[in-house]
Amino acid sequence: MTGAVGLWSLVRFIHVIGAVVWVGGQLALSLVVLPLGRRLLDTEAFAGFAAAAGRRFGILTGAVFLPLQLGTGWALAWHKGVTWASLAEPGYGRVLAAKLALFVAVMLAAAAHGWAHAKGRAELARALAVVSLVGSIGVVLLATALPAT
Amino acid sequence: MITIGRGPAQADGPHGPAKYPSRFRESGLRVRHMRAHVVVAAWFGLALLAATAQHSLPVARWLAIHMFLLGGATTAILIWSEHFAVALLHARIPDERWSDARLAGANAAVTGILVGVLADLPVLTGVGGVLLVAVATAHLVVLIRMGRGALGGRLKPVVGYYRVATAALIAGAVLGGLLATGHAGATHYAGLRLAHIHATMLGWIGLPVVGTLFMLWPTVLGVRMKDITTRVSRWVLWLTGGGLTLAAVALALEWRWPAAAGLAVYAAGVALAAGLFVRTVRGNRPVSAAAAWMLAAATCWLLICVAVDLVMLAARSVPGVQTVLEDLVPVLLVGFVAQVLIGALTYLLPVVLSRGPKDRAVVRAVLERGWLPRLVALNLGVALPVLPLPGPCAVVGMGLVGASAAAFLVLVGLVLAHSRRAVDQEQAAAGSGPGQSPAPGSRRPALLGTAAGVVLTVLAVLVANGGWDTGGSTDTAGGGSGPSAGSRTVDVSISGMSLSPNRIVVVKGTSLRLKVTNKDAQRHDLKSENGPATPLLSHGQSHVLDIGKVTDDLKVWCTVPGHRAAGMRMDIVVKSGTGAAADRSTPSSGSGMDMDHGGHSMDSADSGGLDLAKAFSPGWKPRSADLPAAGSATVHKVELHAAHRTVEVAPGVRQQMWTFGGTAPGPTLHGRIGDVFEITLVNDDTGMGHGIDFHAGALAPDRPMRTIDPGERLVYRFRAERAGAWLYHCSTAPMLQHMGNGMYGAVVIDPPGLPEVDHEYALVSSELYLGTPGSTAQVDKMRHDTPDAWVFNGIAAQYAKAPLKLKAGERARFWVVAAGPSDGIAFHIVGTVFDTVYKEGAYLLTPKQPGGSQVLDLSAAQGGFVETTFAGAGHYSFVDHDMRHAEAGAHGMVEVTP
Repeated sequence: MTGAVGLWSLVRFIHVIGAVVWVGGQLALSLVVLPLGRRLLDTEAFAGFAAAAGRRFGILTGAVFLPLQLGTGWALAWHKGVTWASLAEPGYGRVLAAKLALFVAVMLAAAAHGWAHAKGRAELARALAVVSLVGSIGVVLLATALPAT
Repeated sequence: MITIGRGPAQADGPHGPAKYPSRFRESGLRVRHMRAHVVVAAWFGLALLAATAQHSLPVARWLAIHMFLLGGATTAILIWSEHFAVALLHARIPDERWSDARLAGANAAVTGILVGVLADLPVLTGVGGVLLVAVATAHLVVLIRMGRGALGGRLKPVVGYYRVATAALIAGAVLGGLLATGHAGATHYAGLRLAHIHATMLGWIGLPVVGTLFMLWPTVLGVRMKDITTRVSRWVLWLTGGGLTLAAVALALEWRWPAAAGLAVYAAGVALAAGLFVRTVRGNRPVSAAAAWMLAAATCWLLICVAVDLVMLAARSVPGVQTVLEDLVPVLLVGFVAQVLIGALTYLLPVVLSRGPKDRAVVRAVLERGWLPRLVALNLGVALPVLPLPGPCAVVGMGLVGASAAAFLVLVGLVLAHSRRAVDQEQAAAGSGPGQSPAPGSRRPALLGTAAGVVLTVLAVLVANGGWDTGGSTDTAGGGSGPSAGSRTVDVSISGMSLSPNRIVVVKGTSLRLKVTNKDAQRHDLKSENGPATPLLSHGQSHVLDIGKVTDDLKVWCTVPGHRAAGMRMDIVVKSGTGAAADRSTPSSGSGMDMDHGGHSMDSADSGGLDLAKAFSPGWKPRSADLPAAGSATVHKVELHAAHRTVEVAPGVRQQMWTFGGTAPGPTLHGRIGDVFEITLVNDDTGMGHGIDFHAGALAPDRPMRTIDPGERLVYRFRAERAGAWLYHCSTAPMLQHMGNGMYGAVVIDPPGLPEVDHEYALVSSELYLGTPGSTAQVDKMRHDTPDAWVFNGIAAQYAKAPLKLKAGERARFWVVAAGPSDGIAFHIVGTVFDTVYKEGAYLLTPKQPGGSQVLDLSAAQGGFVETTFAGAGHYSFVDHDMRHAEAGAHGMVEVTP
């Protein structure tokens, strides 16, 4: 009925692109933008810049990335015939469950990062940002272990 | 009010400097406590890690429990019971070096036990157990000697709890050693295991907790101790100690009622203590609300668990309690032990690790961070898995517990690190400020974050990989190594700590699968030497274990610690023969010993005598494979006579069969949904009762489907309410023999709207057992599932000699019913693809769908049909694609002419 590139590959494409933007954005921020900012700007200006950059990335995450990933992820799971019970089964279900759990942990770490930043606990905030980044890469690892829908 | 931690309130006791003074050598003491608690925290971390892997690795569950209790909790109890004993007895501090040696010895012993079990080295396990008993005995001696000549405070009886508990540890360790090394044997296993669990959980861990609470609870609340506490603590010790001793001894001997009585006395003791604790509560603000709530919740879980245990023991048999304990142990472990530890440490760590009231407040604030959410998460997490809720709730519960425990471990880590820094500063003689967070290197957050992220990811990957059958098939022998080595599935049942069969003989190269069913009360698994393993199976669960191609002798065993040694093992022996009958299995003798007595009875002459290439005797007629027409009548009246007949079942081989209506299988009945079948069974047999079980109808087994005696007749009426290919068979015990000798047949009920086809066939697949019906030799073959042939419609290779005939382009429907009695079928027609598959009342495939099907797989007693169109002329074999079956009779031919 559909060709090689059908509706569901489009949904998966959006899901993957969302992940690329989220992980790539974090990598770009923490490996390129913030270190450069720290070197080029004075302390006060950098603090303002970092806060603004973090806020914008946070808003993008909450407003675009999360709804997009949850929506497309839900659709893909529905298409694949995943049920609550099947999440506990070894194989596809277990990998998906682990991926979801890790994703939730990553989102919690990201939220905690924002909170720690707001409280002025810079070290904790940095540590949580790295947790979120490494965890996101872990999510991608688990995603590659899921066979195509 | 009593002071905990640094010693008794009186600063000028008779023993002067030898007790824990308030401001003396405190940093040295702190260092000891800190080191010991790093060990405790490490054990808990390891236990948490093991717990995440428990679904994939059965031994991990054991490991998690023992790392937590035997590693972490034991270390903590050793430290604190000695510490409190000194404080309560106003005694001298025992030699620190010996205390350290005992702690080190205990940890070495536990490590030895864990490694010994994990690596299957019973000697190491035994040595570890002996060392643990030695350490516990030394601890007991210290506790007793401490009491001699000591002045003793009001709460002196609490030390009695520590002594009784240590005795319980010794008993528990001995019992555990017997279980882990297999010396318990299969017959006493259940009782000894229960005694082990009760002695350790309720004795070694429960008693010190209850005893310590007499002093800790008022302290945590910040109120005066009740005057009657001393007396009550004495009564409670007698009740709990005496009750537990009785319960443990009775459980070991599997005496149910004395065990229940002992447990009831123990429960009464705990309830008495709890009653006192409730009366102690006042309206004031507790010193540590977090600790108070956690201790209270933990005590509630202890009471709940003991009560449930007691009820179960009263309501069920001793082995039956084991099933309940599988669920109860995690509750006790987390709800009681973990929570009491968290609560106690929340209060005690600030006392022992801080350097003054100000620092104490700082440390306490760290440890109490987010205590309410942690408390709620932990208790919710304990409750969720035991409540009758859907599966994901249990997973959520485990997650909540894990998160709560991990959060506390992180806080403990922070406090320990803080204390370490403080000690360093003191030792550097420069420390004056609180030095809460010295400026760390700028790389530290990144490193910590990376480490935490990696740990999270590794945990997720572990969870994701959980539950896979490890290994996979070991297909190393290469495809056609043995000419007649097919595949084979053997039913293996687990009951009473043994496997049945415990020895399977197969032809080299056979693909062996074990259908493992756990009929025992406790959980088991099976692991094969070459890798594949089943998950942990609860009572009644089954799992097919794919061993792969067997090219060498293999051992299979249960990996639950101690079970292999207790006799749960099986040998798979390779025989380089060729005939189908070389495969055989030996039933377990029940004692767990390897028995090899199968060789003689099995090699009976008639098993090797089938020559399917020969012609049938002149005058032999095949049974028609055509499905009889359903007709237009809605009531089908049939009279079936149960009788013996001797028929030619394979080329040149005659066999007496037990039949319905003179043929095996009996006549195929055909109708539509709503039709009424009225079958009159007449028992023409001599000396044997028969009955019929129609799977197509719903009839009470003991009334309309009852067994009738020779000469009797019985009318069965049933309405076919649902479509399908159904089995009917003799319902008289032993059914294996009645069915194995031919008393089965098929009922075909068309699904609505079934399209017309050119040919409709009915094939009943079954096993054929030669020999005198009911003789030991023949029945042995049935029991071991080693038939002489597998057949379609009762006769080996009949449609190979008398093919089904069609014309090219015609469409055919094959109804297949697997009559067994033991084996199913993988029905396949060589050179065709099925476009329609209907199995057990449902279409799995219709022509509209793009997919195709190659095999209709049916377990014993299942039925269905497949459809295909034979496009071109030629000879199409149809087979049971289990090749051992196909080669031993289960094959036929479709001859398609242009």
